[in-house]
Amino acid sequence: MEDIIYKILGAILTIITAFVVGITYGGLTRKVIARVQNRVGPKFYQNFFDVLKLLSKRTAINHGVMQHFAPMFIFTSAVTVLMFIPILHDGLFFSNFSFHGDLIFLLYIMPFGPLGMALGAGQTGNPNSAIGVTRGLSQMVGFEIPFVLSLVALMVQFETTSVTEIVNIQVESGVWMIFSNPFAFLAALFAMFGMFRYAPFDIVGAPAELASGPASEFGGKYLAIMMSSSSIFTFAKLVLYVNLFFGGAENLVELLIKTFILYMVPVVYGLVSPRYRTEQSITYFWKWPLALGVIGMIWAII
Amino acid sequence: MNTYFVVLLILFGGAIISFAINKVSYLLSGIVAFIATASATVFFYLNVDTDNFVQFSLAGFDFQWGLNSLSLLFTYIVLGLGTLATLYSIQYMRFKNNLGYFYFNFLLGIGSMMGILFSQDFISFFIFWEIMTWSSYLIVVYNGNKTHKIGIKYMIFSGIGAYAMLMSIVMIYADVKSFLIADYIDYISQVGLSGHYLQIILLIVGFGVKSALMPLHVWAPKAYANSPMGYTSLFSGALSKMGVYGLSIVLLSLLTNFNTGENVSLGGLFEGINAEFIRIIVQWLGAITAVMGTLYALKQNDAKKLLAYSSIAQLGYIITGLAIGTELAVMGALFLAVLHAIFKGALFMAMGAVERQAGTTDMTKISGLVRKMPFTFIVTLMSIIALAGIPPLGGFVGKWLLYEGMITSGHYFLVVLIFFSSTAAFLYCYRILFGIFLGQEEKETINVREAPISMLIPMLLLAILTMVFGTYPGLLFEPIANAMSYIGYNDVVWEMSTISNVWGDKVSLDYVSLTIFTVFIVAMIFLTIKNYKGTRYVTTKDISTSGEMPTENENLTFQLNFFQPFERAVAPLYKRSMDKIYNTIGESLDALFNFVRTIYTGNGQTYALYVIVFLVIMLIFKDSIFN
Amino acid sequence: MVISPVHYIAVPLLAAFVIPLFAKLNREFVRIIPGIVLLYLSYVSIVLMNQVSSTGTISEVLAGWAPPFGINLVFSAFSGFLASLMTFMGLVIWIYSYRFKKIDDEPALKFYVLFLMLITGAIGIVLTGDIFNLFVFLEIVGISAYSLTSFYRNRDGAEAGFKYLLLGAFASTLILLGIILLYSSIGTLNMADIAQKSHLIPTSLKVSIFILFVVGFGIEAEMFPLNGWAPDAYSQAPGPVGAAFSGIAVKAGMYVIIRLIYTLFDIEGSFQFLIVMGLITTIIAEVSAMKQTNLKRMLAYSSIGQMGIVMVAFGIGTREAIIAGLFLMLNHAIIKGLLFLSSSYLVYNDDNKLISSLSGLGKRLPLVSFLFALGAFAIVGLPPFSGFWSRLYLLLAAADKELIYLIAIILIIAVIEIVYYFRVINKLYFKDIKVKSDDVQKPSINAVISMSILGILIIAIGIYPDLVTSYLGNAADALLDKAGYIENVLVDINN
Repeated sequence: MEDIIYKILGAILTIITAFVVGITYGGLTRKVIARVQNRVGPKFYQNFFDVLKLLSKRTAINHGVMQHFAPMFIFTSAVTVLMFIPILHDGLFFSNFSFHGDLIFLLYIMPFGPLGMALGAGQTGNPNSAIGVTRGLSQMVGFEIPFVLSLVALMVQFETTSVTEIVNIQVESGVWMIFSNPFAFLAALFAMFGMFRYAPFDIVGAPAELASGPASEFGGKYLAIMMSSSSIFTFAKLVLYVNLFFGGAENLVELLIKTFILYMVPVVYGLVSPRYRTEQSITYFWKWPLALGVIGMIWAII
Repeated sequence: MNTYFVVLLILFGGAIISFAINKVSYLLSGIVAFIATASATVFFYLNVDTDNFVQFSLAGFDFQWGLNSLSLLFTYIVLGLGTLATLYSIQYMRFKNNLGYFYFNFLLGIGSMMGILFSQDFISFFIFWEIMTWSSYLIVVYNGNKTHKIGIKYMIFSGIGAYAMLMSIVMIYADVKSFLIADYIDYISQVGLSGHYLQIILLIVGFGVKSALMPLHVWAPKAYANSPMGYTSLFSGALSKMGVYGLSIVLLSLLTNFNTGENVSLGGLFEGINAEFIRIIVQWLGAITAVMGTLYALKQNDAKKLLAYSSIAQLGYIITGLAIGTELAVMGALFLAVLHAIFKGALFMAMGAVERQAGTTDMTKISGLVRKMPFTFIVTLMSIIALAGIPPLGGFVGKWLLYEGMITSGHYFLVVLIFFSSTAAFLYCYRILFGIFLGQEEKETINVREAPISMLIPMLLLAILTMVFGTYPGLLFEPIANAMSYIGYNDVVWEMSTISNVWGDKVSLDYVSLTIFTVFIVAMIFLTIKNYKGTRYVTTKDISTSGEMPTENENLTFQLNFFQPFERAVAPLYKRSMDKIYNTIGESLDALFNFVRTIYTGNGQTYALYVIVFLVIMLIFKDSIFN
Repeated sequence: MVISPVHYIAVPLLAAFVIPLFAKLNREFVRIIPGIVLLYLSYVSIVLMNQVSSTGTISEVLAGWAPPFGINLVFSAFSGFLASLMTFMGLVIWIYSYRFKKIDDEPALKFYVLFLMLITGAIGIVLTGDIFNLFVFLEIVGISAYSLTSFYRNRDGAEAGFKYLLLGAFASTLILLGIILLYSSIGTLNMADIAQKSHLIPTSLKVSIFILFVVGFGIEAEMFPLNGWAPDAYSQAPGPVGAAFSGIAVKAGMYVIIRLIYTLFDIEGSFQFLIVMGLITTIIAEVSAMKQTNLKRMLAYSSIGQMGIVMVAFGIGTREAIIAGLFLMLNHAIIKGLLFLSSSYLVYNDDNKLISSLSGLGKRLPLVSFLFALGAFAIVGLPPFSGFWSRLYLLLAAADKELIYLIAIILIIAVIEIVYYFRVINKLYFKDIKVKSDDVQKPSINAVISMSILGILIIAIGIYPDLVTSYLGNAADALLDKAGYIENVLVDINN
């Protein structure tokens, strides 16, 4: 009985942490981008207010049940991913179900949210949403290739597909993956650009082009849930990367430092870039990132 | 009387009765077909006994019918899907002509598939195989007129496959002096594989055609798409699995288990072929099939064709898994085979429902049916999730097993290829959901209604199955583990709802389902209470387009060139298609044939000349011809 | 009256002369008498086949002169099988043509007489034990065949008949030459005697004689390149005659070639020669069949192709192969017979007999189309129809001798057959109807009966091949038993 209570408490704590960290990172990103563009920018906690404001709004219209379900899909997916990733290695509250899933599972549960979201976006009938979705899916095929190559390299190198195991091996040997197989890391890092969709890969939302794409028909509480879900999702992905390549984290502070540094890479990379066309964005991942992934894999096999 | 005879008697008898009874009432024909399959199913599972073999002799050959654990697994697909498909067809086919003909071939198809599974000797296997082929051909051309080329193509490729198989069978008989499959396996286990690779390759070609393996797949897309959907669900779900059944015997019973490792040259064309080489070729062909099937699927505008290509891709996964041949991969392949029957069966049925209710499955013509056909949508959604392999539905389990099987056995590049294919599959998965059910609600579809209940029941049952197997795959692992013991994998370990690989990593599906459903339901309750109740429904025209509200007549439908950017990105892969290559071959053969036939000039004097020339040549060269 | 093989020859010959007399009484007799004759011959076949299977080969001496000086008839399991097959086909075709309309337009008299003569001649070829007698029967077959080919007195029919006649005359000359050479070297015309003494002939001369015979009979047996007459003859002759050619006349030619190779001459390389010629024949014929637009010509080429495969089967030469060859001949007779008979109704009113004119006829002529489709399914060797078993036997025989390339070629041919037969089926069933309903000729009831007999036979043999396999086995044994043949015939000298 106590176990279950701990589990539930731990899960809730994890979700809250992920939410707070994710939202804060979002706010910081806005700040950083603004500063580079020589603007003052919003306060770093601005996103909190945004979410709160949206949550307090009432929604007047809907386009059908699928639209209603869409935020739940993305929330479910974000939380599920979070639940199956070990946040801290050997933390009591943050381990959740991490023993019950592995990398392949994570690879497959990750698209669950975006696809559910895409369904909702589809039902609204807004062509911008659908175009955004097709772009997003196409891009996903692009960046999944180097990502998978790098993950396969990882799995081969450590002979396990469990994230927890991978962290443990790194901690025990003291050599982080980023050092033992830098090519795989680089490939995954490139894939991350696509995953976080900052410029030049922001083809899905594409402000001023698709009117925020799939999200364009969502407002109020829907948008609030979506925002918080994507914050959680962002955090979950970052933690996954830290686990895989940076030997996990002993405590929250270490985790925050590592994730923040990692998070800034795609943000900074995209700061001054214009937006790619969709096919450019796809083929981008099939050039250097793919090559790096292959090298990484061969490295791992040898 | 024997179980096998009774089952076949019910099915073939049912075929004849439903053919005859069509004269009485169009509805009766379908009902008879359904009763026949249902009663055959019930009878079969009440009397199923894997140790029961019948032997008889015909035309001087020994025949043996029986059931092994592998074929038992496939009977679930055939009879289960067959029963549901006949139930579905009663309403689906209701307003069409020639129902007697349709059900006759339908039941003949089911019966011959059961016959294939009963056959323990090559010759009855081949006979049933051919009956299956021509009965399915007759249904492929059922829709008439524009389908005859498709039918011919299907028949030609089936013919090539079947005759390759026949060639192998007669060569086997010349070696073994027996048609029994078990005898052949015994024989191979004694003398080894060397010298018998041609037989194996021909068998693989034969089965490869039915399971749409590249480059023998070109008949499949159109044949699947143009048959009546009630049958296509069986065609893609069960009939193609007969190829998988054959391949699993060839690739696993023969190639994997008795590979002595020696590399014996066959000389000439077959220099350097050995079992490992064949397996690698088949693996890569399977993977390429998967990739190309997916890429062509996402180009299609017709949902039926899209699903047809998707079937090819899915069969590619299955074949790759079989060809890899590690325990996990084979388990994954067989699991996927069953699951593919379930979700592709459901999907084709759903498309049939759409076709029947809305008149077409062309996604550029219809859209926004979700509110009109909610149950069909739910079935499609669940099947698509299973197809895409997203947890917590069944498809994931198969994919997981397959990937783990590949990674843990060192097929790293294959895994990337397969992964590429299954990620790209998300694209067409979304396409089919969006294209038919979501998007703008058009005026043309305003009168569309949900399909009749007798069509929905089989679809829903199949959809529920995908969900059950997603959380409790153990229900399926049990027969699969038994089946694998037949093809040489003893003591396969399985658990009810946990899947694990040889490295000891595992996924607990009950936890996965628990998490997903809990979070989803909590979020749903929260949002529905807090948000949904107060809202009102607005049409899909009432959207934000730069602050303006579009008028009724504005066309906001986005369906054409759906994945154009992606297609541009992978354009080099589309350049070569097997279709074109075959067309070129066909044209050059045509020219050659045209030349050959001019030998018969139609001129009597020329013919007389031939006789004289022939006589003279014979007389001149008589010594060299007759020593 | 004791039933003996002589009845095969005597009864129809008698009938052929009696028919004109009875025709004076009632024209209906013209139609009925051949039927009665064929029915009686069928009865004779059944009795004799039973007798053969219990007591062995029946050798019948004519006119009291014992062989090798007199003419004798040999009813062995092998020749008896072919004779019975021909009789049966004759009966079926007679049922079919009883009221075949187009024949009624012409003076029906000559059709039935000629038809009866064709059958008599063919059976005579198969049964006779004397090579000159065989030549005479061949002439009977030839003359009736030429006339039947140009039965419709139009330009195309005359042309086809002329081509046939041209080549047939060649054949006669060559065969006669062969016979003369043979007689001058060993002084006997009895086939058993020739078989016994053929080693006495110098090899070079023997081979020359053999070549003369092969070329001569090859014309009748549709061997390439001697088969130029066939497509025209098949397509111009009345429907039932096509069936009679493929089921009866060609079989007789094939029989002679088989006899020459298996019994009469012992020539090295003749088996390989038969395989090679068979393959060339079948490849070229099937390829040509694929490019035909005329249904009858397509069937004709297909028929040639089938005979090529029969040659291949006999060329392999093992017991299994002979069984396969005989089975192929049986199947070819009944299946191609069914195809010719049903196709006659399909293109009844189309002078050009175009495949394209079949569009949608499946709806207008459901039964005929169904039977045609059944025949097509059977001839391409799909189970569970009879064509499958013969092809299987052949392949097994080839595999036994490790003739892998042969198997491959036969199967490629089968794929080609699928292409052109299924094209026709598609035309029949899955195209829009072009012809008006009064443009098609509904089959008469007796035509339906005769086609149904063949159809049922195809399915019955297909499902239960044991119906015929024992006969085939006996026939093969009889053919291989050369010593037995000689002994059986010549032992009569001492009696």
